[in-house]
Amino acid sequence: MTPAVELFPLWLSLRVAAVSTLFVVVAGVALAWLLARVRFRGREALDALVTLPLVLPPTVLGYYLLVLLGRASPVGRLYESLIGSPLVFTWRGAVVAASAGALPLMVKTARAAIGGVDSQYEDAARTLGRSEWQVFARVTLPLASRGILAAAVLAFARSLGDFGATLMVAGNIPGKTQTASIAIYDATQAGRDTEALTLVAILSLTAFALLYATNKLAGANVK
Amino acid sequence: MLNARIRKTFPPDSESADSDGGFVLDVEFAAPPGVTILFGASGSGKTQTLLSVAGLTRPDEGLIAVQGETLFDSSRNFSLPVSRRRVGYVFQSLALFPHMTAQANVEFAAHGLPRRERRERATALLERFGVGHTAARRPREISGGEAQRVALARTLASEPRLLLLDEPLSALDEPVKLSIMSDLREMNRRLRLPILYVTHSRDEALALGERALVFERGRIVAEGEPHEVFGSPASPGVARLAGVENIFEGVVVSRDESAGTMLVGLKNDEGVASCGVEVPLGRAGVGSRVTIAVRSGDVLLAAAEPKGLSARNVLRGRVSAVERRSSETLVRVGCGGVTWAASVTRQSLEELSIEVGREVWLAFKTHSCRVFDGD
Repeated sequence: MTPAVELFPLWLSLRVAAVSTLFVVVAGVALAWLLARVRFRGREALDALVTLPLVLPPTVLGYYLLVLLGRASPVGRLYESLIGSPLVFTWRGAVVAASAGALPLMVKTARAAIGGVDSQYEDAARTLGRSEWQVFARVTLPLASRGILAAAVLAFARSLGDFGATLMVAGNIPGKTQTASIAIYDATQAGRDTEALTLVAILSLTAFALLYATNKLAGANVK
Repeated sequence: MLNARIRKTFPPDSESADSDGGFVLDVEFAAPPGVTILFGASGSGKTQTLLSVAGLTRPDEGLIAVQGETLFDSSRNFSLPVSRRRVGYVFQSLALFPHMTAQANVEFAAHGLPRRERRERATALLERFGVGHTAARRPREISGGEAQRVALARTLASEPRLLLLDEPLSALDEPVKLSIMSDLREMNRRLRLPILYVTHSRDEALALGERALVFERGRIVAEGEPHEVFGSPASPGVARLAGVENIFEGVVVSRDESAGTMLVGLKNDEGVASCGVEVPLGRAGVGSRVTIAVRSGDVLLAAAEPKGLSARNVLRGRVSAVERRSSETLVRVGCGGVTWAASVTRQSLEELSIEVGREVWLAFKTHSCRVFDGD
């Protein structure tokens, strides 16, 4: 019996989401800390810039990324000379697209989690002679860990489902850059309804399970 | 020795400002080794002073130095980072790290040592404060008194050269308070660090303080040994904080320059001067408003009209309440719309058979009255 669906798109989506989450967590926590704890000029402007992908049409985001990272752009050329292959229209391009979409969710949630840590704990750690990095790593981060974990789950779920930006940046190359959400589009267009329905069900269930986990984590953080 | 000169203006909308506009902290003091009490009402600038010394807030202007090393100098635009000041700060909230055990909290402060020594030092400090048994527990699993001791142990583990304690006992009940006070005295004897101790409890100030600085609206209005400072309060506010029970507003009725006294008519609830009190001559002229303060311990109570007393103030009134406290009994006596408090011992209460409704006489010396201009 042949499987009802091609497994590659699901596997690719999981891989893209996992790698993208890794990037988003590191960059997102750093940005969230900066926005929550450091006063500087242009703080709210930076926040707005980071949040932008949340409200822009995915095609606009994808367009920007294509222009920024394309083979003719300086960043694209630098990447190609370092890695040896182009960034756009590869699965790595899909990672970039998914990361850009997930970053705002990560930063917003993590900023709230870090902002919710009573700064008196951080002040206490400073008076005890600890450096800013140690204050962050041993006090702020552990105390915000549940919120940050929830943010990471959210970022993973968002990356898993990215469509528009991924299509723009990575294209729709079956067996190479065709993620689950793009495969659904493809199957529907081609009238392969069973395949589309199966993928839809799997993605919906996964998203529900992840959101449920996020709420559990966030709820436990309140107590 | 700590030397500090701090000036900082808080805009009207900041948290620490009064409701009626901005607030200016403007203080200068020196604190030798031993306990220096920072005494005053909340919002008088005590905590802001601690925050400035610790480096958690930046004064607009000033100079702060410990044992000759400068922590802050506005004239050179210099401010040592908090983490390098070696100023131990026990917050009012304690700020024990909730995600670490008591042991880990203390070890966190003993950094820069090999792991083994860090563990040994933390264990020794917890033992010294009698909370060795809490080592494996998280802050939320230990009592308030234990948490206070863990916080002290943690602060000492960082080897501070100065200690800042912000109302360390305010949240504790009496027996725990007394036992921690004796720990603090012991700690003070052994370490001889300058300790700034913020409180608005007169009992704590008298029990622990070697010196006291009285804060009022961002300024130091009095300093000296605690019993001196409380014995002759510098303002009605300090008198109230120092536990002076009889504080009344009144108007100067007459002045007698040759006798060095003046007569003050006290205002009752309706604002009418109804009973006259002779007080030491002050600057206030006839018709000016003044506030007078008399300790309940300076007021004598008599069951019959006293004759041939040297005390010039004798008032007749009726007992309105008898309040028994741990060490003394406070008798409230209404005279012409003003309620006075006199403290007596339990024995005299019985011998004089004082009870509510009974007619009594109050007597106190002219010089037992402190007079403050205005109100």
